Amino acid sequence: MPPASPKLSDPAPRVELQGVSKRFYFYEHRTSSLREWFIRRVLRRPIHVRRAAFSLRGVNLRVEPGEAVALLGHNGSGKSTVLRLVAGIYQPTAGTIRTSGRITAVIELGAGFHPELTGAENIRLYGAVLGLTRRELAEHYEDIVEFAGMGDSLDTPLKYYSSGMEARLAFSVAVCLQPAILLLDEVLAVGDAEFRTRCLARLCDFREQGGTLLLVSHELEQVRALCTRGIWLREGRVIMDADIETVLAAYRAAGVPEPA
Amino acid sequence: MVSAAVPRAAAGFPRLRQVWRYRELLRGLVVRNLKVKYQRSLLGFVWTLVNPLLTVSILVVVFSHVVRIQVPHYWAFLLSGYFVWNFMLQTLTTGTWIFSEHSRLTRSVAFPSEILVFSAAGSRLIEFLAEISLILLALILLHHHGVPASYALVPVLIVLQVVLAVGLALPIATLSVFYYDMYHALPIALTSLFYLSPVFYPASMVPESLRTLYFLNPIAGLLTLYHEVLYAGRWPAPTLLLGTCAATALVWVLGYAIFHRYAASFAEIV
Repeated sequence: MPPASPKLSDPAPRVELQGVSKRFYFYEHRTSSLREWFIRRVLRRPIHVRRAAFSLRGVNLRVEPGEAVALLGHNGSGKSTVLRLVAGIYQPTAGTIRTSGRITAVIELGAGFHPELTGAENIRLYGAVLGLTRRELAEHYEDIVEFAGMGDSLDTPLKYYSSGMEARLAFSVAVCLQPAILLLDEVLAVGDAEFRTRCLARLCDFREQGGTLLLVSHELEQVRALCTRGIWLREGRVIMDADIETVLAAYRAAGVPEPA
Repeated sequence: MVSAAVPRAAAGFPRLRQVWRYRELLRGLVVRNLKVKYQRSLLGFVWTLVNPLLTVSILVVVFSHVVRIQVPHYWAFLLSGYFVWNFMLQTLTTGTWIFSEHSRLTRSVAFPSEILVFSAAGSRLIEFLAEISLILLALILLHHHGVPASYALVPVLIVLQVVLAVGLALPIATLSVFYYDMYHALPIALTSLFYLSPVFYPASMVPESLRTLYFLNPIAGLLTLYHEVLYAGRWPAPTLLLGTCAATALVWVLGYAIFHRYAASFAEIV
């Protein structure tokens, strides 16, 4: 079930994965120190047992501008690995990955935040973490502050924030930066109902303006509202790639328990 | 339009271009390190000075009154090298754990991760610049009673010092991602290096026969340069200066290569 074939006018896909595999090695460390390593080497005992496990096998994927793609599947099916590969955090074991435009990946909310810095300082630092120059950040700063809607508390050190506020701040930075490609890994469950509604609206705008969205989420209703296309992964392989309604229906029919 | 998703693709200069693109992050991390260190501390920078000054005064008492090292104005000699050693020590110590400290960042954002090591050296450098200004002032007023022409070389020495520190910190930090042994090994190595480098004695006291071996330690060259320029107030021998430059460049290239070889897999390991 291929996705709708791209229009001829489309220059290039935003994200393209060709035969991408990712193998992780799990080291059962027989050696945890250099001393032991040395002894084992001398005695010719195995130094470590390396077990390979594929997280992804031969994944082909092509995402066009303006598409919002949901990655579905059980825990450990390789969804996050896809996002990390697209973001360039991991290198593929085989295959090629091509992307165009700036990528903002929100794999963990608030990575790079420091509790001792104020909210405003953390916005600037997080922007820098995501690769923005000072001028680019200045362009988006007002928008971020307004979207986060936290007013005075921006001058308070982050450690006095509630975890909800912290996540809200991080999320605001990510959605307001207007990247070409936005990757979200189970970070949609943020803030109160009002904030979530605004997030969804903002993400829909983002998609309509030609932004490309790849997200991992277990909240299927949110996914339905936001995404145009679904990709179902099982044990590192794409088992279904179609429009979101079709994939959601099949996914639910397969008896995947849905969190409340 | 189509580009590789990967900012860690190439070695050498393209990598440095990546770092340049992320300069705002480097600046942000340096400012953060300093802010976090000094906020809510009334005396702030004074603490940064007190600790090494205390060590310096103890060394002065011990080595000019107990074990007598025959160096005139021993205090001036010690001041001109000790803070450089202290910079090395602290950059290497903080640099070692920097990747595990920032494991969340490394696992969830693609950025040139050497920036973390640079930022450790960068925030130390800012403190060092404040320290060295005070030391230069003290030496000019109390030791030389004037400004020796050799002080023009101080910026060059500072550049050498930073390059050397980063060149050493990068492979050490890389190794400690894989082997926690570094946690045990580094303090021992640094203590040995303190005695094997001309911190509290001049390199000229080292027997001639051992000197080639002695100067294989690039920190020894750097400290001797500082002694020549700051304490003796004379131009260093060109061989010493060029030799130390070459050694520093070599350490940087090797250190960066080791780091680069493994950097792409940090996100899977830290």
